[in-house]
Amino acid sequence: MLKTTLAGLAAHRLRLLLTALAITLGVGFITGTFVLTDSMKSGVDKTFATSADKVDVAVLPKDGGELPASLLARVKGVSGVTAAEGLVKGSAALVGRDGKAVGDMPTVGMSVPSGPLLRYELDGGRAPNGPSETVLDTHVAKREKFKVGDAVTVLDHKNKPHRFTVVGLVDMGMDRDAGSRGAVGFDAATASAMTGEKTFTEIDVLGGTREAVASAVGPDNDALTGKGLAQRLSKANGVDTKILQTGLLLFGMVAMLVSALVIYNTFAILIAQRTREMALLRCVGATRRQVFGGVLVEAVVVGLVGSLLGLAAGLGLGAGALGVIGSFDTGLKLAGPGLTVRTVLVALLVGVVVTVVSALLPARAATRVAPIAALRSDLEPGSGRFRLGWIRTILTALFGLGGVGLAGYGGFGADKGETPMYMVALGGMLFFLAVVAAMPALVRPLGRLVGAFPAKAGGVPARLAVQNAQRSPRRTATTTIALTIGIGLMSLFSVVAASGTATTNAQLDKHFPVDFQVESQFGGGKSADDPSRRIPADLVTNLRALPQLGQVTESREAGRPKSGGSGMTVQTVTASAFGSLIKVAADAGTVSAPKPGTLIVDNETAKSDGYRVGQTVQIRGDRGSAPIRVAGIFHGDVPLRGVLLNEADFGRVSAVRDASVVWAKVKPGVQVDDARRAVDAATKGYPTIRVGSMAELRDQFTQAVNTLLMVFGGLLGLAIVIALFGIANTLSLSVVERTRESALLRALGLTRRQLRRMLSVEALVMSVIGALTGVVLGVGFGWAATSAMSESAVFAVPYLQIIGFIVLAGVAGVVAAVMPARRAAKASVVESLSAG
Amino acid sequence: MTSMFTNPPATHGRAAEPAAVVAAEVSKVYGSGDAAVHALRGVSVGFARGAFTAIMGPSGSGKSTLMHCLAGLDTVSGGRVTLGDAELTAMNDKQLTLLRRDRIGFIFQAFNLLPTLTAEQNILLPLELSGRKLDRAWFDQVIDVVGLRERLGHRPNELSGGQQQRVACARALVARPEVIFADEPTGNLDSRSGAEVLGFLRASVREMGRTIVMVTHDPVAASYADRVVFLRDGQIVTELFQPTPDTVLDRLKSLGA
Repeated sequence: MLKTTLAGLAAHRLRLLLTALAITLGVGFITGTFVLTDSMKSGVDKTFATSADKVDVAVLPKDGGELPASLLARVKGVSGVTAAEGLVKGSAALVGRDGKAVGDMPTVGMSVPSGPLLRYELDGGRAPNGPSETVLDTHVAKREKFKVGDAVTVLDHKNKPHRFTVVGLVDMGMDRDAGSRGAVGFDAATASAMTGEKTFTEIDVLGGTREAVASAVGPDNDALTGKGLAQRLSKANGVDTKILQTGLLLFGMVAMLVSALVIYNTFAILIAQRTREMALLRCVGATRRQVFGGVLVEAVVVGLVGSLLGLAAGLGLGAGALGVIGSFDTGLKLAGPGLTVRTVLVALLVGVVVTVVSALLPARAATRVAPIAALRSDLEPGSGRFRLGWIRTILTALFGLGGVGLAGYGGFGADKGETPMYMVALGGMLFFLAVVAAMPALVRPLGRLVGAFPAKAGGVPARLAVQNAQRSPRRTATTTIALTIGIGLMSLFSVVAASGTATTNAQLDKHFPVDFQVESQFGGGKSADDPSRRIPADLVTNLRALPQLGQVTESREAGRPKSGGSGMTVQTVTASAFGSLIKVAADAGTVSAPKPGTLIVDNETAKSDGYRVGQTVQIRGDRGSAPIRVAGIFHGDVPLRGVLLNEADFGRVSAVRDASVVWAKVKPGVQVDDARRAVDAATKGYPTIRVGSMAELRDQFTQAVNTLLMVFGGLLGLAIVIALFGIANTLSLSVVERTRESALLRALGLTRRQLRRMLSVEALVMSVIGALTGVVLGVGFGWAATSAMSESAVFAVPYLQIIGFIVLAGVAGVVAAVMPARRAAKASVVESLSAG
Repeated sequence: MTSMFTNPPATHGRAAEPAAVVAAEVSKVYGSGDAAVHALRGVSVGFARGAFTAIMGPSGSGKSTLMHCLAGLDTVSGGRVTLGDAELTAMNDKQLTLLRRDRIGFIFQAFNLLPTLTAEQNILLPLELSGRKLDRAWFDQVIDVVGLRERLGHRPNELSGGQQQRVACARALVARPEVIFADEPTGNLDSRSGAEVLGFLRASVREMGRTIVMVTHDPVAASYADRVVFLRDGQIVTELFQPTPDTVLDRLKSLGA
């Protein structure tokens, strides 16, 4: 039996290859993911290992602590220690050539030791020494076009500018903060002065033993060997790689699901076509078990071939991705691509298991072939009117109603947020199962709908094609469902993205109609109330004085209470802004500008802290506390969180006088560009101040959403390509099945071109059925998901994109038909007439 | 079925008519070198307009190959085939396809009909392919003669074998081709259904003036024709006018088949 199976496979090498291709693509993607992430991780690990190799012992604080300066002296006193260096790390904003601080967050300021403890790689120049020398991270220097010998300005922790000479370039990309924010390096004393940090984040030691150093630094700190340090560093980095890997593998799973459908369909068709062969085997004495086993062996071979090809493809894919990443200057160290034993095992296992599982049902069908079928004249496989059996009907009803119910309840019920979103997702999956169960019954009506136009416009070949697409409903159903998955997810994403953008824009227009937002460079590990993150009062005065601006509003934020207190944000906003710049809606009470002795609070804070209207609560700030009555609870898409006080009350609880953010509206009649120039001029002397226009913010948001959508699209593209292979596969098998039919048509006067067109239209109809189903599902559940996200969500359908998906699917379907159609058209009429 | 189709063949000849299809020194070789098979070795024959001609011969005599070459389904290795004013042997695939579509009708032994189309759609297929207008009166006449009026809306798998062949006959007739080629049209039918189909073919020649060339190995089927051409080893060896089953059988025996 095994021999028969293998001989059969060898005789149909092309068919084997075509079937295996679906698996190849899925496995290739998974392999590629592993190759890429492995190489990224091992590249980073290697960098860490080389770097950590330079120290004998490293002292690190236990979670989140700091190392006091006194500790360094103690470490230096340990016997055997030849050198010890404390690392200072904080923020020191590098000022770029445009006079503005580089990046959205200040660059990292860190100490870069000279001598043997220099862990970073010098890309030129030397280590800094003294209060007027600095080194720049290579990537920042390249971006900002600074080189060794240049003079640069760096702001200290009080935003005071200092001039430095660049003496060297250092690749600090292996430090995660420096990698994302960029970095400037000084000697230890200068680093401490610039960043204001008096403590160390790490002490690196040469000489001495780990045990000796450990006993000197005490139980509050860790002493690690160089190797231990490398492991810890790479572990932190590994989390990033892991997230990337998981994300990519999710898409890989979608691809494998589609592959499974394609394999299932191919095997089902093959079995149906080989009914005679199976029956003949049964006639000559093969048992049902042997027939079943034969099909499974075939599946194993197909799975193995596909997976092996997939491994090779994945290696290429991974190498390609590495090449692309390497061509960007990301500062990422990459190792060469390679296959690990794990990658090979996972790829083979996934490929073979998916193939075999997909072939189980067809194999069972094969055992049902009666020996007598060998002698019966040929009935067309898989044809005939499809009736939804009671099992399918019940499943369809159950899943369909359950899915719609769940999604409807999640999407349009009272609650909004994460749980309803999960309900929509689950509902979507259930409903998809219902569609899978009901699809064979839907093929005919959908085929008529989709085929209506081609049948009218395309003449006889098109009409025949539309009929052909509907003639074996199960086959067409499975073929199209494979495409539905990819297109459905794409539509879902694009609807959610479009709705998200529309919601944001609508919210901004409605609740927050400002033109400019002026704020300081954020982050850098400093809290929101840090003086360096405030907007100087004289700048606010200057802005208020600009004739181009109408309303200028400032928001101040209180610092944390000196002891205890919750992390609640306490703010005050220029009273006149309410109603004009800031339009919030009331959940309870009144939400106008707070009068003295009252406050308003956003609905989320009110919920979490249990505030009710009319209640008097104790508000605590950096200066002190005061009892204040809750006048109203508000909601709305404005950048205001926590409690909002009257300015007088704010003064009682907080000493902060500078604004954390300033919003401005252009005076009516003034061009936005003119106003922008004026605001830019006013902020010129303040390197850390950023001016954002709402138009820019919207563009940035839209662009970010579109980029994300494109990445998703690219990754889902694979699932779509696999589905197209499914169409090509189904079509070529159908062509084989209809050899005589095609010959008859050719004899009756169908030209080759018409025959090709017939198959193209059939593929077109199939792919559009699949795409249409996907689009309906995607838009429907995208609607529910959007509505589940928030009360104020706006549902938007990106019509052009959706139409684009359908057109693209149609075109791709036609492309998928090219090969089968050529084969069909090439067949000789005379030979085909006598075939079968 | 009307009774006229079950009547024994009447003697009738129209050999004086000009030939509809002519083969001149047609040869066909499959393969090359030692493996070359000479299916046709210089066949020259004409098929009269308005006549019913049968081609007979033992298996491997080349009768099907001859029909394929005459009908523009296959290319020749040498010689010429002409249909009226058209030289088939000088045409490319597209021209041949259009010629078949517009001027030739076919009835095959099996698998004559498209399973997705109804009987009526199958009958009208050649007309629709060529975009020609349907002559309703002619269609009705043909349908009534083949007795398919009740069955027009059925698909092939709902028809008996004899009905399917009658649909094929109707298809060949409705388009009014210059010549109809029938390849063992009764090969898969029981004798009663076969007789119906053959009687109908003969009637379409006698009463509708069609030209039919039929390949068969059945002497009874051949006896419905006006003339029988005998092939052996790729050559025409003899012919017979106004055949009866007995005279055909005798002639076959003398060929050593």
